[in-house]
Amino acid sequence: MDIMKDMALPCIYSLIASIAFGVQFNIRFRHMLAAGIGAMLTQLIFTGFEISGMGQMICYFFSAAAVSVYAELMARRVHVPVNMYLVVGIIPLVPGGYMYNTMITLVSGDVESFSHQFAASVGIAGSIAMGIFAVSAIVRLLRIITRQSI
Amino acid sequence: MEITAKELLQITSRIGSMLIEYGAEIYRVEDSIYRIAAAYGFYGGTSGKDKKIEVFAIPASLIITVNDGSEVPLTQTVRISSRETNLDRVDKLNNLSRFICVEKPDTATINKHISEICERKIYNYPVRLISYAVVGATFALFFGGTPFDALFAGLISMIVFAVSIFVNKVKPSVFFQSVIGSVVIASIAVIVSKAGLTGSFDKIIIGASMNLVPGITLTNCMRDFIAGDFLAGMYTLTEAILTAVGMAVGAASAIAVFNMI
Repeated sequence: MDIMKDMALPCIYSLIASIAFGVQFNIRFRHMLAAGIGAMLTQLIFTGFEISGMGQMICYFFSAAAVSVYAELMARRVHVPVNMYLVVGIIPLVPGGYMYNTMITLVSGDVESFSHQFAASVGIAGSIAMGIFAVSAIVRLLRIITRQSI
Repeated sequence: MEITAKELLQITSRIGSMLIEYGAEIYRVEDSIYRIAAAYGFYGGTSGKDKKIEVFAIPASLIITVNDGSEVPLTQTVRISSRETNLDRVDKLNNLSRFICVEKPDTATINKHISEICERKIYNYPVRLISYAVVGATFALFFGGTPFDALFAGLISMIVFAVSIFVNKVKPSVFFQSVIGSVVIASIAVIVSKAGLTGSFDKIIIGASMNLVPGITLTNCMRDFIAGDFLAGMYTLTEAILTAVGMAVGAASAIAVFNMI
């Protein structure tokens, strides 16, 4: 495979796009770069999983989990809400292509490929949500345990 | 520093409604208010203390009841009708509530801090316009478009931003907002490609539509579900689904109309 085209370029694109998204969410400049790097890491991890030949949903699940871990760690470190890094970090995972294909097959009336594309986009969105869900649940549990022990 | 129930109600309702408005998770709103109240000796739930506070928040409204041990409790309800994401102010409000818990300042100091947060600068229109264009253009490239596609996706994103400023003045629902946005995107993209300027319009539409994706609603929804705020979670989940459906409806109807012509 072409490393430049398939790995480096998407990472750079997601870095730039997520910094621009940071402007839309009114994040200050000094947090923006860290958030953008989070998005870049997400894309890198996602490509890594994809190359290793895992199932698509698993790829999305683990990438979303990875970005949640990054967001939780960064938020603890600089004392900001976790949202700030998490919202920007999952941007490269959004299944824009599948959502578009769902819509376009609906317009053309091709029911068979519509149901296929619809299932894929709902499944991907679900996997991303579950990835965030899993990590946040574990972090919450850890916080409750540590607070009680003190 | 002791404060009265009335002052506590005024401070907490102001901070809470601002947190909801700027896109904080609902469990964070309730948690912050309970912590601020606890700093002044008001406790929630079945603590058995004389001074009590109860908070109920969903993304559309905030209800706070304070009782300082007298017979008549005080209640304030705040209806939150419009929300705009501003994570910088959420961060600063979070710092403020942490500061209140440690220092227990008087109301005048707190009100001064709140006004300072309200005056914090947001990015001006040109910067936001450029950010829309950059998002559109880079995502067109990201999903495999040509540089020409990226150029048009960027231009269309700018138009969408300009349209959304005008549309938001009448405070429409999220569904209507995303329908309008994606009708604009899809119709201009189809016109551009029918005029022979680019090969296909799909990468342009995908790239420019990324500006409308409900990213923050979905993350907030998941985090509220984990915290046990199911009502708030369902509210934001519905909002995210409606936005996505609105995007599909808008683009589909625009493309269908242009296919007929």
